[in-house]
Amino acid sequence: MSESPARNPKLAWREVDGEIVIISPEDSQVHELNETASLVWKYADGIRSCDEIAVELAAEFDVALEAARADAAELIAALEEKRLLLVAAPVEG
Amino acid sequence: MDRWIRRTVERHLPWNVHLDLTYRCNERCIHCYLDHEDYGEMTMLEIEGVLKQLAEAGTLFLTLSGGEIFLRQDLFELIAYARRLHFDVSVKTNALLVDVEKARRLKELGVRGVQISIYSADPEVHDAITKVRGSLARSLAAIRLLQGQGLHVKIACPLMTHNLAAYRGVQALAEELRIPYILDLTITPKMDGDAGILSLRNPARDLLPILQDPIFSPKSCDRDDAPQPATGGTGSSSSSGLESHAYDDIPCSAGHNSCYISPYGDVFPCVQMPVATGNVRRERFEEIWFHSNEMNRVRAIRESQLPICSSCTIRAHCERCPGLAQMEGGDLSGAYERACELAELKASVAGVENPVSALHVKNGRGAASCKVPPLNVFPQASA
Repeated sequence: MSESPARNPKLAWREVDGEIVIISPEDSQVHELNETASLVWKYADGIRSCDEIAVELAAEFDVALEAARADAAELIAALEEKRLLLVAAPVEG
Repeated sequence: MDRWIRRTVERHLPWNVHLDLTYRCNERCIHCYLDHEDYGEMTMLEIEGVLKQLAEAGTLFLTLSGGEIFLRQDLFELIAYARRLHFDVSVKTNALLVDVEKARRLKELGVRGVQISIYSADPEVHDAITKVRGSLARSLAAIRLLQGQGLHVKIACPLMTHNLAAYRGVQALAEELRIPYILDLTITPKMDGDAGILSLRNPARDLLPILQDPIFSPKSCDRDDAPQPATGGTGSSSSSGLESHAYDDIPCSAGHNSCYISPYGDVFPCVQMPVATGNVRRERFEEIWFHSNEMNRVRAIRESQLPICSSCTIRAHCERCPGLAQMEGGDLSGAYERACELAELKASVAGVENPVSALHVKNGRGAASCKVPPLNVFPQASA
């Protein structure tokens, strides 16, 4: 959980009513994120670690940290698999 | 996508914006409605300011057009800036200035679509319309360069008296190139109101064979399944190019979730709707978009309340455009002759017995009688 996911800079996206819609210029694929995935997307700034994103989710939805960690890990993996998020080790210093 | 379109319509978010960067052009197309002089285009800094405001207002789909966009020396800087603001960027160009390097840069910057006007597969016909000898060959070479970079290219083919029979050739060309295409019957008066170029518009009766051709419908011609702001068809009621029930009781997306901005900063509900709502050089975009009286007047129009068209029995066959209604009849909510003629033709093709538009009923005029001829009546359909 120490990696810092970042939004793929190649994508076009906007937030409407707290939800994110993403479109990929490569293949015109549209991705509609639900409320939780949208929050993960917003916090995935390449600085916050997965753990820190889980803390934000726990606070936002008032759930236990362990449950938020599991959800965050699952969502980040799913978004990474679709190349929407890029996950890299945090920059030192 | 329908859910998002509905949201943007309900909340009046400017989801699609068409921004012309210049009216200058290196072609002189005979049907063009623009004045190609430069009266003081927005600078790069001004445009960047506008893009920032659009991003804040919620615009996702940004179409950069002209004029010829490659005449802007700062084009790539502007696209790069737009991409940094996470816009989905498409461009319209004649592509005469596109070389390998420019194609590569468009791809590198993440431009999603490139639309190029092709008027015929016959260089004599195409070049006579653009008034630039060799322009078809150059545009086609550019299409191949753009494709070589993996860019999504689309052909747009406005049809007029000079190239009506050319659509089959353009279709074949698009199939050979394996790219989508749009056929468009819309010819509008010039921006200064000069209606002289309307003489290039095909008489409605000449369009019957085309309207009968199954390839001529926005759904079958615009074969790009991707959601993308685009105009097409015959002055379609969905100017965003995105089909949605969100538009059911409004004439089109203009002013609801889309708008047009000129190179001089003037904001209009649509490129085809000459209703000036404000200028981004003098006011913030959101002030114009949300609070302009004219924008709100356009927004208030409902299909079910149109004074003539709401009672029309062949409304389902009509692609009435409020902008053209304004330009041709002087009333955004009004009926206009061209739409009625086309609706009657389409209704005939669809098998409606003696279709007469509400405007023609009101004027005591029956539809121009037309017997529906068989398909493929064009003797030079391969032009």
